[in-house]
Amino acid sequence: MTARSGRGYTALTESVADPVLSAPAGRSWWLLFSAGLVLTCVFFGSIFWLFYEGIGIFGNNTSVVWAYPIANYVWWIGIGNAGTLISCMLLLTRQKWRSSINRFAEAMTLFAAAIAGIFPILHLGRPLYFYWLVPYPNTMDLWPQWKSPLVWDFFAIASYLIFSLLFWYVGALPDFATFRDRSRSRAGQLIYGALALGWRGSVRHWAAYETFYKTMAALGVPLVVSVHSVVGMDFAAGNMPGWQETIFPPYFVVGAMFSGFAMVVVLAAIVRRFLRTEELVTRHHFEAMAKILLAGSIVMGLSYGTEAFQSWYAGDDVDRTVVAFQYTGTYAWLMWMQIACNVAIPQLLWLPAARRSIPVLLVIAVLINVGMYLERILIIINTLSRGHLPSMWSSYAPTLWDWLLLAGSLGFFLLLFACFLRLAPAISMHEMRKLVFEGGRE
Amino acid sequence: MTTQAPAPSIASSAAAGPTRRDALRLLALALAGSAAACSKAEDIVPLTEAPESLISGEPLRFATTLPLGGYGRGMIVTSVDGRPIKVEGNPRHPGSQGATDIFAEAEILSLYDPTRLRTPYKAGRPQSWEAFFSELSPRLDALRARGGEGLAILTGRVTSPTLLRQMEALRRLYPAMRWTRYEPIGDDNARAGARAAFGRPLDLVPHLDRCDLVLTLGADPLGAGPDQIANGSDFRKRRTVRSNARDMMRLYSIESERTLTGAMADHRLALGPEAILDVAWGLADGLDDAGTAPAASPDSRFVEALLADLDAHRGRALVLVGEGQPPELHALAHWMNARLGAFGATVDLVEPSDPIEEDHAASLSALVGDLHRGAVDTLLILSGNPVYDAPADLDFGAALDKAAFSAQLDTLPNETNARTAWRLAGSHPLEAWSDLRFRDGTASVVQPLIKPLYETRTAHDLLALLGGANGSAAYDLVRATWQPAAGAADFEAFWQNALTDGFIAGSASAPVAPPLIAAKPARPPRRESEGLTLLFRPDPTIWDGRYADNAWLQECPKPFSRYTWENVVHLSPEDARLLGIESGDEARLELGGRAIDATCWQDEAQAPGTAAITLGYGRTSASPIGLGLGANAFALRTSDTPWVAPGLRIRRIGGKGAALRTQFTLDADGRDLAPEHPLSALAALAGGEKKEPDSFYPEQPYERVAEEEKPGYAWGMVIDTTLCTGCNACVVACQAENNVPVVGPDEIARGRDMHWLRIDTYEHQEEDELRTVFEPVPCMHCEKAPCEPVCPVGASVHDHEGLNVQVYNRCVGTRFCQANCPYKVRRFNFFGYADGQEYANLGEEPAQARYNPDVTVRPRGVMEKCTYCVQRISSARREAEKENRRIADGEVTPACAGACPTQAIHFGDIGTKTSKVSALRREPQHHVLLEEVGTRPRTTYLSRIRNPNPALRGGSR
Repeated sequence: MTARSGRGYTALTESVADPVLSAPAGRSWWLLFSAGLVLTCVFFGSIFWLFYEGIGIFGNNTSVVWAYPIANYVWWIGIGNAGTLISCMLLLTRQKWRSSINRFAEAMTLFAAAIAGIFPILHLGRPLYFYWLVPYPNTMDLWPQWKSPLVWDFFAIASYLIFSLLFWYVGALPDFATFRDRSRSRAGQLIYGALALGWRGSVRHWAAYETFYKTMAALGVPLVVSVHSVVGMDFAAGNMPGWQETIFPPYFVVGAMFSGFAMVVVLAAIVRRFLRTEELVTRHHFEAMAKILLAGSIVMGLSYGTEAFQSWYAGDDVDRTVVAFQYTGTYAWLMWMQIACNVAIPQLLWLPAARRSIPVLLVIAVLINVGMYLERILIIINTLSRGHLPSMWSSYAPTLWDWLLLAGSLGFFLLLFACFLRLAPAISMHEMRKLVFEGGRE
Repeated sequence: MTTQAPAPSIASSAAAGPTRRDALRLLALALAGSAAACSKAEDIVPLTEAPESLISGEPLRFATTLPLGGYGRGMIVTSVDGRPIKVEGNPRHPGSQGATDIFAEAEILSLYDPTRLRTPYKAGRPQSWEAFFSELSPRLDALRARGGEGLAILTGRVTSPTLLRQMEALRRLYPAMRWTRYEPIGDDNARAGARAAFGRPLDLVPHLDRCDLVLTLGADPLGAGPDQIANGSDFRKRRTVRSNARDMMRLYSIESERTLTGAMADHRLALGPEAILDVAWGLADGLDDAGTAPAASPDSRFVEALLADLDAHRGRALVLVGEGQPPELHALAHWMNARLGAFGATVDLVEPSDPIEEDHAASLSALVGDLHRGAVDTLLILSGNPVYDAPADLDFGAALDKAAFSAQLDTLPNETNARTAWRLAGSHPLEAWSDLRFRDGTASVVQPLIKPLYETRTAHDLLALLGGANGSAAYDLVRATWQPAAGAADFEAFWQNALTDGFIAGSASAPVAPPLIAAKPARPPRRESEGLTLLFRPDPTIWDGRYADNAWLQECPKPFSRYTWENVVHLSPEDARLLGIESGDEARLELGGRAIDATCWQDEAQAPGTAAITLGYGRTSASPIGLGLGANAFALRTSDTPWVAPGLRIRRIGGKGAALRTQFTLDADGRDLAPEHPLSALAALAGGEKKEPDSFYPEQPYERVAEEEKPGYAWGMVIDTTLCTGCNACVVACQAENNVPVVGPDEIARGRDMHWLRIDTYEHQEEDELRTVFEPVPCMHCEKAPCEPVCPVGASVHDHEGLNVQVYNRCVGTRFCQANCPYKVRRFNFFGYADGQEYANLGEEPAQARYNPDVTVRPRGVMEKCTYCVQRISSARREAEKENRRIADGEVTPACAGACPTQAIHFGDIGTKTSKVSALRREPQHHVLLEEVGTRPRTTYLSRIRNPNPALRGGSR
């Protein structure tokens, strides 16, 4: 469907492998890498200051005890959702167009989930004791408190991270073998050879691979749903107005998929540009993703509406106050910005021209990521600013360190992604070859 | 509670000739006391020899007296291993009646203030006391030769019999010396009123417990001040509503700015100063047999109803007037009280404990005149900070510079001792011997709890020196004062009793028969003025600025505005609108050519046309805690308008800064969080405990104890909001008892604070009156605590007695517990507030000595909250187990309950049907905060009951 059958296997392989193995990095890559490196320094510098000075450097206060670090966590784990969704769900539903984007989408998942996993630790008052959430045998004979959603969260993140790593690695095995074979340097041959785990492309290998990969994919789908449902339950299991809602788990899963796909669009545009693989990642792919974004935005709009309706319909004053505060209070402008980014602006994608224009799509995708960040932070601060007792109502403002840590995490992601582009097969060659073959047969 | 006198020291046994053992002890003592080089060992307990009663780690309690504005309030101070750590009330002292106020509670922190003066200073350089004495003594010789000409002594209010005796003796030695007594929060108006009515100054001792009706005219008997505890205690006796006691005093307040009394009033009228006089004279006309009917005014409905009520309560009514009101109104109130038969019934007249007749302002003004004339060459300031707090028109600082020799005695650096030649290090009341009187004349001994920490002296020491008796110690002086009082009886027994009881029996002044009041005083001439009228008020937490260096008091939220670390200008919403000023705006206040900049706050209860500001802020020379906060209202205060200054102009000069508030809205958002009921509706209340909503969570053994009695204890608390006057004593008591750290103004601006107990304040308009309710909120100790299931590490757990406890060393700081707490009572150590990142100088030595050793000092990153003073429960349990009995009802008193002057906080076992808290939970006005959330809190409330006048139903206008 996608790769033009006119081009042979060789051309395809060259277009993915050569930029990594033989072509020099190029100025734009170095720019990307340096930007990532600088922000990564900011990230770890901020973490150092955080550990040294204490979490008082954040903008949190007595009532709004959670804010940016938790929002960062939810946002990053949301982004980390799409890679697995694309790989597993689209594989199982035989959406072949996924082949050209799944590899870097999976890498995105891996990096995003890893970064997301850092934030719950950073937000702790005593981060050095984060491992007390782990049920390990200890002399105190103490286990974590299983009723806490934060413990569920720990397991959700950990299993998701392990799964994402395995799934990405297994999927990349045949391509690592290709790199090994094409690498002209001894170091490349050794490293890629080790990573390829002796893959020779025998039929036996392929049979085992296919079974294993499909099984993993089947496991992945429920995991994607569970990880974000659990994140939703971090809030829904509480008893605060605006949090205690049954809609939260599915709402969070859709939100995660939505923001994840938006991030894939952004990264696809980057990959396409840096690896010069316009033939592999085509406008058709962008259009398919645009349709998913459109569907996502409608579901998000519906969720916002449902949330507001339910709190009005339930008739609880406390709930109604929170909803009224969301739309008219201190942070109302952010709420309206969120709705614009997540619901209103993506409606442009009804227009086929907008779906096919990469710049337009890129802008919309970035806005969706902004909107989804706003959603994460607003869920937290709206509720905590307008709790049960008006005497404890307050307002929240982030500090420089909140911003630096967020920007730093983006930079760290960028750095990891830049390294990925230069070191690993960013597009699944073996799956693309299959498409070439099928295309040729048709 | 055991009260123990200090054991005899070894110094006395040494008199008989030291043994080898004693010599060694003396040597150790001398080494220990080397910091206080030449102070003599007195009867306090050095730990070189532990007396039988002293067990390491076991607290000892000593009675002593703490001053406020010169008056003494008897207290009992807990000391652990020789370290005073907590102040409690002395139930037998009339000025305390077992309770405390914020000032008494906070003395512990002042004692260990790291900025305290440790030695005399001259021109900023540390000196020895000998150097001071050697500089002073030639002057003294010269002065003596001149008969005291040129010697001036400045003090605050003096009630100490010993100090008065010393001054008298000094007067004989220096007949021409000048003794100036100046207290910025004085009583010149009240004295002038008494002189007008009775011909001589007499003090009022109100007995709110004997009143059926109290009318306050700008008075705040329940507000901060030396009488606050006594009045609060009396107030409680006539405002406690129980199912078997539904008789309640009625309180009317007519005032310009909201006071705690006004907030408690059944009817409150907010009027400007002139309108208050109109109403007062209208009332007087109505009470006057010969008088005319009150003239029609917007308040005539109120006045008529009040008149009828006053008339119906003759002999049981009392009219109180605030110091801010003119002398004529004080005289009028005396006249009205006489008409109402109040003297001898609801109020007593006594000879003042402060015997000086000269007015504060006049006295200081005369001193300034003398200084300018060069008539004073030696000025000794024994207490007070006149460079800061003298009327602005006197410019005391400039006058002070004229004195050839000046010295000030104080515990801390201040504006005055920054300008005097000598800066003398004074002893803290907890480390010095003295005596003080309460307003009613009751004398009590100030007994030191600890040897002076530094080379400090007391006023007694300095006066003794002036008298030529170098070396006579305050201890001997105080004893000598009371020698005659013991009479023929054994003095040692008398003294021992005075120390253990905490007061001297029979020392209260006998009430004076009210002299006949000639005629109804005439109304003072009306003062018409442009602009607003500025009202000066003592600060509710730092008084006149003398507590500005105390971080507990700075961080204690002001009632109503809920500001901390700052004073704000209270403006009525109408005036604020006209001026274009919003709450939090910076404004310039101009008055008579002087100007200050201050933050404004719209106060719904402020009388239109007036603005109120509290004194005590804007200190320019103080410890790092008190320096540079708020606006200095003294800079606008002149000697002729000390309380009410017309002609104020305000303009906005800047936008909002960070609001240093702990509560941002007084509006309850229409929620029934602090319900109120009129007394008449009480019978109709269903009452008792309602069936609470069912829960999905499994029932725990400690639950539902209030319904079926179970063995063991089930701790619970009931807070009576009818009695809570919002005085904050509980807040500071909790801070002292539980090592609650101070976060500082920067952190408050970030919305953080650490108070385990806060006083939620809500106001609402009912009919045409603004109602204010105080609701102290400690941890609710929910039986279904939302904090517990969300903690991932199980740091928030329940104990078997129903306490919701926080395991500090298990806490990792996820803060989910606070996020999930509907009451938001948990407090998080965002920084190491008590653990290496203390505010200002609070981490320096010896500030750590303030800590209660029974309570963990929490590290950074840990959540903390009210424990119901679990350490006190444990202590009671240990006692009970030793005696093989149950803990008796009332045996455990949390710090908040112990401090409360109105006994609004009750604590006990709700699992025992006969306990006091159980009975309170069955009262009809019992209510549960956020009952609908289903948390089943152990802390519950009794709703505010008011006693409105039925004649004023539908509004007071």
